[in-house]
Amino acid sequence: MINFTEAILVIILLSVLFSLGSTRLLALVRIMVLQGVAVSLIPLFLKDHGTLGSGPIIFFQVMILIKGVLIPALLYLAVKRVAIKREIEPFIGYHASIMTGLVIILVSVFITNHLRLSLPTGQATLLIAAITTMASGFFLMMARKKAITQVIGYLMLENGIYLIGTALTKHSHTLYIVEFGVLLDLLVGVMIMGIILNNINTAFDDVDTTLLGRLKD
Amino acid sequence: MIEFVFILPIITGLVALSLPAPMGRVLLLITAFLHLPLSIITWMGKLTPTYPHLFSSSPEGLLILLLTSFIFACISIYSFSYVDETVIANKPVFNCCMMLFLGTMSMVTLSDHPIVLWIAIEATTLVSAPLIFIHRSREALEATWKYVIICSVGIALALLGCFFITLSMDIGNIDTSLTFSALYDVATKLDPLWLKAGFIFVVIGFGTKMGLAPMHTWLPDAHSQAPSPASALLSGALLNCAFLGIYKVHVLMAVAGLQEFSGNVLIGFGLVSMFVGAIFIISQPDYKRMLAYSSIKNMGIISFGVGIGGFALYGAFLHILHHSLIKSSLFLSAGNILLAFGTKRVQRIGRVINYLPKTFVSFFAGFIGISGLPPFGLFISEVIIIIGAFQQQHYISVGLFLVALTLVFAGAGRIFMSLSFGEYSEKIEVGERPLRLLPPYALLLASAVLCVWIPDVVYAAILDSIKMIGGTFHG
Repeated sequence: MINFTEAILVIILLSVLFSLGSTRLLALVRIMVLQGVAVSLIPLFLKDHGTLGSGPIIFFQVMILIKGVLIPALLYLAVKRVAIKREIEPFIGYHASIMTGLVIILVSVFITNHLRLSLPTGQATLLIAAITTMASGFFLMMARKKAITQVIGYLMLENGIYLIGTALTKHSHTLYIVEFGVLLDLLVGVMIMGIILNNINTAFDDVDTTLLGRLKD
Repeated sequence: MIEFVFILPIITGLVALSLPAPMGRVLLLITAFLHLPLSIITWMGKLTPTYPHLFSSSPEGLLILLLTSFIFACISIYSFSYVDETVIANKPVFNCCMMLFLGTMSMVTLSDHPIVLWIAIEATTLVSAPLIFIHRSREALEATWKYVIICSVGIALALLGCFFITLSMDIGNIDTSLTFSALYDVATKLDPLWLKAGFIFVVIGFGTKMGLAPMHTWLPDAHSQAPSPASALLSGALLNCAFLGIYKVHVLMAVAGLQEFSGNVLIGFGLVSMFVGAIFIISQPDYKRMLAYSSIKNMGIISFGVGIGGFALYGAFLHILHHSLIKSSLFLSAGNILLAFGTKRVQRIGRVINYLPKTFVSFFAGFIGISGLPPFGLFISEVIIIIGAFQQQHYISVGLFLVALTLVFAGAGRIFMSLSFGEYSEKIEVGERPLRLLPPYALLLASAVLCVWIPDVVYAAILDSIKMIGGTFHG
């Protein structure tokens, strides 16, 4: 039997590596769709199918809608408006970024093994994927010039944290209203970041973060 | 229906978005003065939570709620006049975000569930971002971008910290509802390793929002670019809300017997923040940035006092009250100066004493207050923190603390003197208006009164807030 959880986790890991190596903004947004959907599906495969009532089912649908459709749509709009098909312009090259991604995976494996957590069987991979996603999100925020890649990096970080939440805790899923609040914050956050991006673009004619250096001591 | 305290401003805020600006301005005032009695009623315990697993009233939360509500009432009077005299591109958005800001901050003070607390703190970031951005200059854009990105990433780490705390529950095999009040009862059974990890991430996360160095980089930019009423709210109210998040987890640590660990972390961050604040104040060319760095320094003092505990903890809570009152007053006075002179550069301003005599009084009194001199309350709180630290034998820390205080006094003094008595020969743009003078005076007066006489209910509330981790008045 195919282990769906592991398969999805491999997809998440691949999406992280792809995002580090992608040269186009639109490709990056598509990768975020894939990652968002994959991350939202994970809890479904971790739970016993018998315990899922109608409330959780609706919640997971909303989550896929927000992470897989609404947030990428906002990003897509921002890319279309702000920087039409322009390259990502890295501080650190694509090959070096992918290498960094691989190193991050190795470090995550090391951390996961070192922690010796009493994780349920098969969840070690989940923790590896989560730590990798978080760390790569951070890396993406720092290694790219465009402000929009910082938003994408933030989303990856959030995805990683969400994975840790599902991987490690039982309690975080007892109250779906709370989870929904977290998602809503994320959605509104991306919306506000998009509005500011648009304004940065009109004010500076670019969304390069190196232009944002006027406020200093 | 304790939830009404934060639902009210959120609803009126959303209504204000569709109203024309002059009506929204009135609505802002009405909301502020409905919220104040509502907070007092909550304070008296007349309201019960409808969702007790998400919200409840804790003494420290109520203290900060009432403080926030009072400051907001003063600021709403100020902004009633301010909004009229300054160029704001989209006034309904300003009114709306001010009220939403009040709503989300009230939600922070009443949250009992760690993740609801997180949601509320992240929401304060999101609704205050448009306030910083309201002038739409390039600098404002940069400040807003930094604010949103740095705070969102920081607060995301706090979410990780909250997950670690739930993990420590799972490992300890505890089956209780995930609320702070329930966790305090079972704290000793929580897994200490994950609790420590959770605390570190919460301090880094909410510390970013509170302005603890070295995660403070957004703070001076945001405070200097935001319009003055918003800066006053950011400094006087928002930082306390972020502190509340840290404090609740610190109490959890203390009850679990890990007070030494969490205390030392807070002392460390506190000392670093004081020094960063002090060093950047010394040659600061921008007076609003100077006030922002002073906030960083004061947040450092609060974190230091809480870390030391005991008698100093009482001082830390007093410091929160007085810092909020004095600092928001100073930002409002700075707003008057900014309106009159049209610049934030210290060198281009002078003779405030001649041009704006009444503002000079409040500004200078604020300077005396923020420097920790009597008759304002920061004098008492700093003395208490120093005595508390001596009692616990933190001699080196106290030495560093005093050095930082002296540096700040020297740096801030130079700027205040230059603003008040320096050279200036041109005309000023806007004069003083009573509605913009009254609030800074009221805030200062509150601090001066609280310095010599603390009402018994406030005293009892502070003691209730700190008794859980061994804070007392009789060190």
